[in-house]
Formats: sequence, C-alpha cells, structure tokens
Amino acid sequence: MTREEVYERLNQVVREVLDDEDIELHDETVADDVEGWDSFEHINIIVAVEEEFGFKFPMGKTIKMKNVGEMVDLILESGK
Amino acid sequence: MTITSLNFFIFLILCVTVYYILPKSFQWVELLLFSLVFYYFAATPLTFGYVALSSFMAWGVTNGMERDRKKGAKASDMKAWKILMVISFIINICLWFRLKGRAFLSSTLWGINQIFPSVKTVELPEIVAALGMSYYTLQIISYTLDCYWENAKPQKNPLKLLLFSCFFPQMITGPISRYDQLQSLYEKHSCSYKNLAHGVQRILWGLFKKIVIAEKCGVIVDAIWADFTLYRGAYIWIAFLLYPIQLYSDFSGCMDIVIGVAELFDIKLVENFKNPFFSQTSQEFWQRWHITLGTWAKDYILYPVLKSKGLQSLNKKLKQKCGKKAAKIITTALGMAVLWFVLGVWHGAFKHIIGVSLWYWIILMLEDIFKPYSEKINKKFGFKTDEFGWKFFRAARTYLTYSFGIVFFRAKDVPQAFRFLKELFLSFTKSRWNPWVLFDGSILNLGITYKELNVIFIAILALLAVGVLREKYGYARNWLDTQPVLFRRTIYLALLFAVVILGAYGPGYQSSAFIYGQF
Repeated sequence: MTREEVYERLNQVVREVLDDEDIELHDETVADDVEGWDSFEHINIIVAVEEEFGFKFPMGKTIKMKNVGEMVDLILESGK
Repeated sequence: MTITSLNFFIFLILCVTVYYILPKSFQWVELLLFSLVFYYFAATPLTFGYVALSSFMAWGVTNGMERDRKKGAKASDMKAWKILMVISFIINICLWFRLKGRAFLSSTLWGINQIFPSVKTVELPEIVAALGMSYYTLQIISYTLDCYWENAKPQKNPLKLLLFSCFFPQMITGPISRYDQLQSLYEKHSCSYKNLAHGVQRILWGLFKKIVIAEKCGVIVDAIWADFTLYRGAYIWIAFLLYPIQLYSDFSGCMDIVIGVAELFDIKLVENFKNPFFSQTSQEFWQRWHITLGTWAKDYILYPVLKSKGLQSLNKKLKQKCGKKAAKIITTALGMAVLWFVLGVWHGAFKHIIGVSLWYWIILMLEDIFKPYSEKINKKFGFKTDEFGWKFFRAARTYLTYSFGIVFFRAKDVPQAFRFLKELFLSFTKSRWNPWVLFDGSILNLGITYKELNVIFIAILALLAVGVLREKYGYARNWLDTQPVLFRRTIYLALLFAVVILGAYGPGYQSSAFIYGQF
C-alpha cells in the first residue's frame, strides 16, 4: 500500500465520521486544523481508521499522535 | 505555611538564592531538599512517606519494564509487570481513599440516607491527608502509564522521580504535570533577569487575584450563603453570579503564584487556565478550566474506556440496531458518565457527583446532540456567529451554565444547594422582588465597605482587560513587554501597591486557604 493510497482511504474515513466532504488531510494536519475533530470525535476517528485498515493503534499512540503524518506512518508500518 | 504567607516568601527567597549559588548539577537536589522542608512546614512530616512510597513503586515498576524491554521481551512476556503496575495503581488509589476518600464515603452515605432513610450513615474519623495527594497520585499514574505505553522514558534515578512527584510549588493545587512536561526540573539553569522578572510579575498577578478579588468577593458570597433565608431576591443573584469569579480568581490566582514561583527557577509549568469565561460552549469551557485535570481525565479515563472491547462491541451492536449517529451518542454518553463519575469522586463529596458531575454530563451530552442542529439553524437564518454580540451571548450562556453547576460545589450539601436554587428561581416573585438593594446601599450590610465595593468592580475590570490581552497576545505580558519601560514599571508598581494596600489584611486577618487546596 502506498502513502497516497492510505491518504485516499483515510480522507474518506475522516470525511464520513465528521460528515464533511471537504476534508483534505496532509502530513502536517493536526486535530485543531480540522473543524469538528474534537476530543469526542478523536476516538471515533481512531476506531473508524482501525476498522478500515484492520489493525489496532497502541493506546499510547491514541493519546499522543503528533499529526496525521504520524498516523499514516503507523498505518503503513502495520501493513508491513 | 501557605503560599500567600510571609513565611513562604522568606522560604522562597532563600530557596532561589541557594539554587543559583550552588553548582548547577546540584540544583535538582536542592529543589528536592527544599520540597522536603516545605512538606515539613506545610503538612504532617510523616505523610511525606506516602509520596515517597508512590514514587518508589512507580520507579520500580517502570524501570523493571524497561529492563525487560531492552532484553527483547515481547508484550506477552510483560504480563507480570503489567500486574505489578495495576497493583501499584490499586495501592495508590487505596492510599488516596484511606486519606481523602473518607469524606466522600461519609457524604455519599449521608446523601443516600436523605433519599432512602433505611441506609445508615457512618461518621468516619478524620485522618490528616498527605499534602497534594490528589495531584501527585494522578501524576504518578500518568508517568507509569506513559512509560508502559512507551510515550516516556523511565527515570533511572528514584530521587529525581521523587522530585517530579513532590516539587513544592505544585503541592497545593497542582497543576497536574506530565513527566515529559517537567523535564526542565533536571536541567541546569542560569539566573536571568527575564526569569526573575516574569516570575515576580506572575506571582504579583496571582496575589492580586487571590487577595484583592477572591477574598473580597468571598466576603459578599459567604454572607449571602450564610443565611439566604434572610438575603433573598437580588442578593441570591449576586451570590450566584459572583461565586464563579471568586472561585476563578482563587484557583487561577493560586496557579499564577505557583507558575510564577517555578519561573523563578527557570522551570516552566503547564498552564491550568486559559480565559474560561470567554468560552462559547461548555465543552470549550472545560478545555480552558482546570486544563490539566481535564486532559488527564480525557487521556487516561475517557479514551481507554471508549476504546475498551466492551464499549466497542456495544457500539457495533448499536450501529446495526439504531444507526451510526445514535450509536455514537450512546457510547460517548457512557464514556463521559465514567469520566464525570471519577471526577466527582476525585473532588471527594457526594454533592459533586449529584450536582457538578451529573449537571455537566447532561449539558455536554445535550451540546453534542444539538450541535449539528444549531449549526443548521445558524446557516438557515444567516446568524453571523463571529460578531461580538453573538459571542457575548454565547459566553454569557456558558457562564450561567457554569454558575448553576457550581452551586453544588459551594453548598454544604445537596439539600442546601437545592434550597439555594429554589430561592434563585423564586427571586422574581412578588414577595422576594427587591432589585433596589443593588443601588440603595443595602449591599454594604454584607460586611463590605463602599471603597471595597469599588475595588472589586475595578479589579474585575482589570481581570477582564488582562483576559482580552491574553486572548490576543497569548500572554498579557507579551503585550506588556513591547511597551515603554516607564509604562511597564508603572503597571508593576500599581500591582504591587494594589496587593499591599487593597488586599484583605488587617489585625487578626488571616488569608483563607485556597478553595482547591482541600483536594
């Protein structure tokens, strides 16, 4: 799976959770940059991403992820 | 020794002087020793054993895990350490409950007894709690979990970890620092004019909030709460609206002093308040009020609960039966119920669970449910939500919501809170209608002079002005630092004189303890 493919699926997941078709994520995107990505929605996004990619984020990463780029790195690592 | 007492400031000057005289590699040792001295004077010395026990347990568990990890142990081989970690949490929580949870148990039984008289109440003897226990217990738990989750490297030196738990400025009311946020405790620091100036500024501002605003507002609020069968109508509204300002000035004033004290050592503590009364919603309010407790509860209670297998499988079932949106609302509500229950227990009284926790749980859930609808309504009717009037209305609504919830915080018990609320709602009835007391000098019967009333008014305006500057510049001092020297000095002197002259002093006067110090 390439980084671009991950972003394509990740954008779709986050758009669906937050109900916003205009969302476009990048490596440097943080929760504050995306309207509606608050602490309630954070866990819904994490769980939806886990379901989409079929793996579990470690709890430590759930509470402390620097940005979307780090999330994508973890997804790619899980696929190795 | 309270942190607003003269003894504390003598202790502090001595501590700062020795800190910068000593070789830099001994600075952290000096902080540890002075923290022990502070403990000796501010609490029962023996209770220091509790903080030492908690720290050394965490040190043993985290370093044991790290050692096995380095040897290449897999997650499945770490089960023994996981069990030891859970045991260390149980010991910490049992210690907390033995010393702090008694009041909670007594008040809970008493509260249940009011509803079901067959349940007997129990009077438990008072035990002196360890200073800062509710704060350092949370710090130690977060440190251990961060190491377990590999978000932090374990501290190899047990005495350095002990300093993390008992660093004296945070012993009264926090903030609840994370281990990675307090690494500057162990760094070498040079004395600089900037640190000392910023530290003193922050301490003065904290003293101003505590001694000038909180103490004076407290006189009015206490008088009304002492007998609200005598003080009715508009008086009740005064107490209702003034208490949040008193509590904020008291708690955030303490935080300013604590952060300022740490700055004198060139140590940056995490902020605990960020203009909470500027919040547009209750959810935003809790991201700006007691921030370190909120983020702690979010990371170590809410997220693990929401991600737990039980709640996730419930979520899946609900999605099939009731749809995605309903499933999300129900699971979030359950996670939030656990969070607010724990926060209620942490505050140590039944009234917190019934009042503050239950109230805010309902409010936050309603906000979450109605958020999409209110956005749709705003769009449909073209409300300009960025305009000042709209923002002011939403901030006022958030303030009133908060004022309502903390009636239970201020009240002695739940029945007293309900009696107060009843008076509040009946205040517009004919028998209680008395708005003229706001203008005819009747307020002066509440134990406050006309001069003090003016001081409160001007001080609250100053609080508001600093809040506006903080919203715009991050810190009010970022703006102040750009101003001419003469102007800056005038502001500092005005603050110093305000604290010295306008503060609540006098023969026989003793500054009351910080409200959040009781936790």
